[in-house]
Amino acid sequence: MGDRRRRHRLAAAATVAGLMFGTAACGSGSDSAGNSDPNTLEVWTRSDPDSAATYDRVFAAFTKKTGIKIDYQPVVNFDQQLQSRASTKDLPDVMINDTALMGSYQSQGLLKPIDPASIAGGDRITDKSWSSTVGIDGKHYGIPYSRQAQTLMIRSDWLKKLGLKAPTTWQEMLSVAQAFATEDPDGDGKADTYGMVAPASAQNGYAAMWGASFLWQGGAQIIAPDGKGTYTPAMDSTAAINAVTWMKDNLFCGKKGVVQPGAITAVTATATNFQDGNAGMYMTGPYNITTFDATPGKDKYEVVPAPSGPAGGDVLADGENVYLGARTGKDEKELALASFLVSAEGQKIAMAGTGVHQPVVRIPVNSTLDAAKVRNDARWSVVQKAYEHASEQFPNAPDFAPIKQDTADALNSIFTYCGGDVRSQLKELNDTLAGDLKDQDLLT
Amino acid sequence: MTATVPAPGAREGTGRRAFDKKAVVPWLFLAPGLLLALVFKFWPMAKGIWLSFFDVRPFLGDKWTGLENYSRVLTDHRFQDAIGHTLILGIGQSVGAILLGFALALLLEGQARSLKFLRTAVFLPAVTATAVVGELWRLMYYPTSDGLLNSGLHFFGVGTVQFLDNPGIALYSTMVMGIWIWAPYNMVIFLAGLAGVDRSLYEAAAMDGVSLWQRLRFVTLPAIRPALMIVLTLATIRGLRVFTEVYVLTGGGPAGSTDVWMTRAYTLGFSRNDIGGASAASVVLLCVTLLLTVLVNHLRKRGEAR
Repeated sequence: MGDRRRRHRLAAAATVAGLMFGTAACGSGSDSAGNSDPNTLEVWTRSDPDSAATYDRVFAAFTKKTGIKIDYQPVVNFDQQLQSRASTKDLPDVMINDTALMGSYQSQGLLKPIDPASIAGGDRITDKSWSSTVGIDGKHYGIPYSRQAQTLMIRSDWLKKLGLKAPTTWQEMLSVAQAFATEDPDGDGKADTYGMVAPASAQNGYAAMWGASFLWQGGAQIIAPDGKGTYTPAMDSTAAINAVTWMKDNLFCGKKGVVQPGAITAVTATATNFQDGNAGMYMTGPYNITTFDATPGKDKYEVVPAPSGPAGGDVLADGENVYLGARTGKDEKELALASFLVSAEGQKIAMAGTGVHQPVVRIPVNSTLDAAKVRNDARWSVVQKAYEHASEQFPNAPDFAPIKQDTADALNSIFTYCGGDVRSQLKELNDTLAGDLKDQDLLT
Repeated sequence: MTATVPAPGAREGTGRRAFDKKAVVPWLFLAPGLLLALVFKFWPMAKGIWLSFFDVRPFLGDKWTGLENYSRVLTDHRFQDAIGHTLILGIGQSVGAILLGFALALLLEGQARSLKFLRTAVFLPAVTATAVVGELWRLMYYPTSDGLLNSGLHFFGVGTVQFLDNPGIALYSTMVMGIWIWAPYNMVIFLAGLAGVDRSLYEAAAMDGVSLWQRLRFVTLPAIRPALMIVLTLATIRGLRVFTEVYVLTGGGPAGSTDVWMTRAYTLGFSRNDIGGASAASVVLLCVTLLLTVLVNHLRKRGEAR
């Protein structure tokens, strides 16, 4: 029986892929011997080779210290691979992935609950960070590992040329964007520059991720917790209508060039105008600092806090958690690894990127560390301050994936049809969100 | 297995042993392919049909929901919109690629060495990865005067066109790319068909003094009917399961204006973690594809009988 069930779930991800593309995707194939070795932990991270090189150094230090071996697998298409591994009921021992996925994983039963007291040095992680790993049932399902918040990256050489200052309010940001678009800041005599970069495609929910900061700055929420473990959809509030209307009227349907051309079909991978040198502002996460230091160049841009809206300057915060795969029975070693990962030593190694190797810890969760000091780079304190004092995260307890996708679909549609009625479109979104919450039995 | 295969050996009456041997050999050659198809196509396909009846929760145990996934998918207005887009895109892309492919085949038919070179050049889009083609077309469609197509339009005094960002024309921009990709593929099949046309018919037609159109209508088209049917069947299937072109070019946007059946199913499965719903959507597509293929085949047989 168990065997039969296991096999039909094994096919789950492969099946959908198979029907979709006419070819079947195999599982990860990493059903490695290491997983059965009691002294080896299988660890997955969602990483490209540049980040994986940094993780390699972290795990090497851990093995040297404790003798516990690590079978490390950087996985690029993490979610598909994890689903196919889950179908065999054989999960990796330890996973490091985005905070916003915790609700989704927990709702599928993939995670082991964690007692914060069992993590050595867990008391050095701030309450704010710990609070983001509480699941729907009040238990912790992740250990905070790395944090980040969006900041505004802005071309300082363009500001200087046009005699402008970095904006601190929406209105100033709009004026700077218009100046960047019309006053030829790069001095080539052509109107080929744009105010700001917006990855506003609905694909993978990008419009919601980029737009979330604006919503919070306008005093809006996507879904509002009511303190009893349930939620109310809140996208029909006056604050949400005002914030979305402002974005639509000024960024997408207002003067040309405020956002880059093609913004409403752009995802982060195709929104490269900032590093291409033809857009002057980009509100994004600090993982781009390494990229932007190469082009447009470290001396050409600065990192400043995001401009404030009518309700403040909160930005989207995000990060990675350490997750322990359900039912693998290596608790002691897993907790030892987690403790090392959040220790000052472990975090420092992960914060050091060498050359093209990306640092994998952006803002440390260990409160004894200071990002700017560890890296000797003052720009990181801007990010750290944004995270600590002016940031919000997507709710971690519900499965946020459908909520994010529906919000992105609606925002993208509103920004596309300039003649539409924002109020009724947001009302419609609100009804859809109510349905999503109801599916999870989380609607107030 | 052997009983169902009328082996030529049996008819020649060379005895029972030869019958078995000759019947087994083709199956032996087929075996690896069949095995691969079984493991990587039919097994996952069967599982997909199975999963479409469940609320799929890999680690907690799947929950039987009967036809709920189907009713949810079929009543979702975004899937309904996607059907329309899929049909417009599939039909437009197929017809366009067949016409262009046929025209190319007529132009590039022949033995000359220079034609070989040209044919290779024209065939390139069909062997280039669709993702790469998509990136190239994104650049060509770039919505400022820097974009290749828009700079051309500027030259003729036409303003900037938002090829991909205008929800009214994004679907047609995607269609043009699809035609560009698939026309050369069709061309090759047509070229093979044209190679089989009896040249003496052309000479006879020339002597009768027929027009170019009549020559196409009464000599060329009937001769390449089999090729046309192959192209049509392939185009039908391809048109329905169109995915990569849309995914790399617009991701279904803006505002869902290019969302087709497959991109919808992908979003459902991988952005919203609803594997059951995505399976149901895929099964619906499978059924429609099967129906259409059978229909095209039926029409072909009727056409041949006439």
